[in-house]
Amino acid sequence: MELLLLPGRQVRRPALKLCRTGSLRVSARIRRAYSSKPQPDIYDVVCVGGGPAGLSLLTALRANSATAGLRVALVEAQDLNKTRSWTLPPDRFSNRCSSLTPSSARFLDKIGAWSHVKQERVQPYQEMQVWDGVTDARIEFDWAQGATGSTIAYMTENLNLTSGLLSRLDELGGTTIFNAAKVENITLGEDTEDLDLSQWPIVHLSGGKQLAARLLVGADGANSPVRTFAEIKSRGWDYNRHGVVATLQLEDHGWGGDAMKIAYQRFLPTGPIAMLPMPGKFSTLVWSTTPSNAVLLKSLPAKDFIALVNAAFRLRTVDLDFMHTMTSGQDDELAWRLQHTSFVAEAIPQTVVGVQEGTIASFPLKMRHADTYIGERVALIGDAAHTTHPLAGQGLNLGQADVESLAKTIEYSVLHGQDLGTRMSLEGYNSERYTKNHVFLGVVDKLHKLYSFENGPLVPLRSLGLNAVNAMRPLKNFLMDQAAGKGVKLF
Amino acid sequence: MAPSRAFTRLAAHRRVLGVVGRQYQLQRPYYSYDHPPPPGPFNQTEHAILSAAYTHVPEHGFTQHALSLGARDAGYLDISTAVLPDGPFSLIQYHLITKRQALAPKSRAIFNALDAAPGDGAKGQTMKIDDRVERLAWERLLSNADVIHRWQQALAVMAQPSHVPASLRELALLADEIYHLSGDGAVDPSWYTKRGTVSTAYVGAELFMTNDRSPGFAQTREFLQRRLEESSKVGNALGGVAQWMEFTAVAGVNILRSKGMRI
Repeated sequence: MELLLLPGRQVRRPALKLCRTGSLRVSARIRRAYSSKPQPDIYDVVCVGGGPAGLSLLTALRANSATAGLRVALVEAQDLNKTRSWTLPPDRFSNRCSSLTPSSARFLDKIGAWSHVKQERVQPYQEMQVWDGVTDARIEFDWAQGATGSTIAYMTENLNLTSGLLSRLDELGGTTIFNAAKVENITLGEDTEDLDLSQWPIVHLSGGKQLAARLLVGADGANSPVRTFAEIKSRGWDYNRHGVVATLQLEDHGWGGDAMKIAYQRFLPTGPIAMLPMPGKFSTLVWSTTPSNAVLLKSLPAKDFIALVNAAFRLRTVDLDFMHTMTSGQDDELAWRLQHTSFVAEAIPQTVVGVQEGTIASFPLKMRHADTYIGERVALIGDAAHTTHPLAGQGLNLGQADVESLAKTIEYSVLHGQDLGTRMSLEGYNSERYTKNHVFLGVVDKLHKLYSFENGPLVPLRSLGLNAVNAMRPLKNFLMDQAAGKGVKLF
Repeated sequence: MAPSRAFTRLAAHRRVLGVVGRQYQLQRPYYSYDHPPPPGPFNQTEHAILSAAYTHVPEHGFTQHALSLGARDAGYLDISTAVLPDGPFSLIQYHLITKRQALAPKSRAIFNALDAAPGDGAKGQTMKIDDRVERLAWERLLSNADVIHRWQQALAVMAQPSHVPASLRELALLADEIYHLSGDGAVDPSWYTKRGTVSTAYVGAELFMTNDRSPGFAQTREFLQRRLEESSKVGNALGGVAQWMEFTAVAGVNILRSKGMRI
């Protein structure tokens, strides 16, 4: 048998041919008269998980002429046809929304997916109001007067994004999609006469289908089976907080009208509460609070839930704490307390008047970071690599940045005739993203901890800091550029 | 790190060799299943005098006088208190040691009674370690009740420089006994912090108790609960800091690795 020496291991000829061409030339060879075992189907890239990260990666690979020749497969446990046919009336919004920074939007545009996202359901916002629930110190992120049209971020329903990506992926074609397929197991392949797959991950699907992957991409969320297979540890902690989400209806289109939408975030000692604009009179709520409060919020009737949301943006924290101890009647309590609380109506979101039925949900918040994003023939992207607190609304954007970087790394390998799955080829991706994500996760974690103090020396200090930043226009612009993914690259 | 079994073995080995007897046995500052408890520091004569003298403590305090009365009761001459060179401190030690040793049978009785109690109340088996620790510390405080009016005097004697090491060791043994009886078998660095916090809370509560006039020392119990709660908060904060430091250290290595450094 003809053998060829590659660094660290031996590869027999057929595998090398496969590598050169990036397509399955060996399929004829695999077919045998006798069949003792099912043979794995060989792919260049197998992506496990059809969320925003996984779909963007495959779309990016298919959309790029250099990588369009790769044989790619998507494995998704949920039924993607539901996502494909996803549609809601214009006055209904899904409760799981994300903010996409302009740089993520640019990337989605580059791979041709942005136009497939229903634009009438996407809401850009131009201003951000953030304040301290204890001291009312405030920072206003707004572009200087006259510079209107500068978008801080786009609010998108996650389903709108995934259905747009899927529609673009279908348009590009060429992706083998294993829909509603459960990954039963991931193992290393075998060394047979024809092929040496002993270094290749084999994905076993329910139903007996086997996929051999030159590169196995884990986009399969926080409890990633791919990460488990690669024996990459993920470290971090739980915040002992739950994120409560809901779709809210405001009394009007917001203080700035439709042209100037504003995102609001108030840091309460239990966690930040954020109200982010959706088209028209709608907003989406993300409230991180204690698990017991989350249970209470989910159990309240609509009018009391609305009262608590309104209270959370208006009342002092002690009053709010008290209202959380009531089992009912928050509505009347708020009406009475508002008479005795002074606030500037224009500085806080407009009064919530309705909540869409069935949109109140909660999920636990945690911080996790994998030790590395790559292994031999394995790469992790999105939540499989890192999970963060939603207070900066950046989880999805970190995932998009991962995808952009990994797609670029794969393109480089293909253009230079490297095997795209080896650790050496993937190193560029890990080195580009790891530090950035770590710093980001750290900053968000510190912010969460900083604002969880109700009293003590840190409270006046953090307010002083917030007010100081607010007063310094250049620093503020710099921070906004960073948040929007523009300006100087720090890391 | 927490003490290893090897250290116990070493001590046992020395004992077999007869190199050093008593000191090594007494220097074991933790509980061991592998070895019988070390014999008390008192021999038979001392024990007889002290147990008799102890009955005079409520009336006469931890004094030489109580010792003399005890010696007389036990059938010895007044002068035989000279076998106890530490004088009144021996009497205090006797109190500390007997009360500590009495904790084990008491704890069995308490938790068995809880288990047997009808209803869904706290069960000995399912009680959290922290709750068991609180219950046992409280039980130990209660056994001071008979002599509490003399206890400030005892504390003063214990605080004399020559008696401080022995007093502290007895405190450490008590903290260890409490944790052992509460069923906590962890041997990580928290071994020290846990024993440290329960010692601090116990000493504070003991001092508080000497001035407590509330029926059944209810205020002392609240005091003890508050101190233990505070220390568990501090413990959580310290645990958080340790977790963060570990995360950051590992992340530092990971970042260097991501940049291609081979570590």
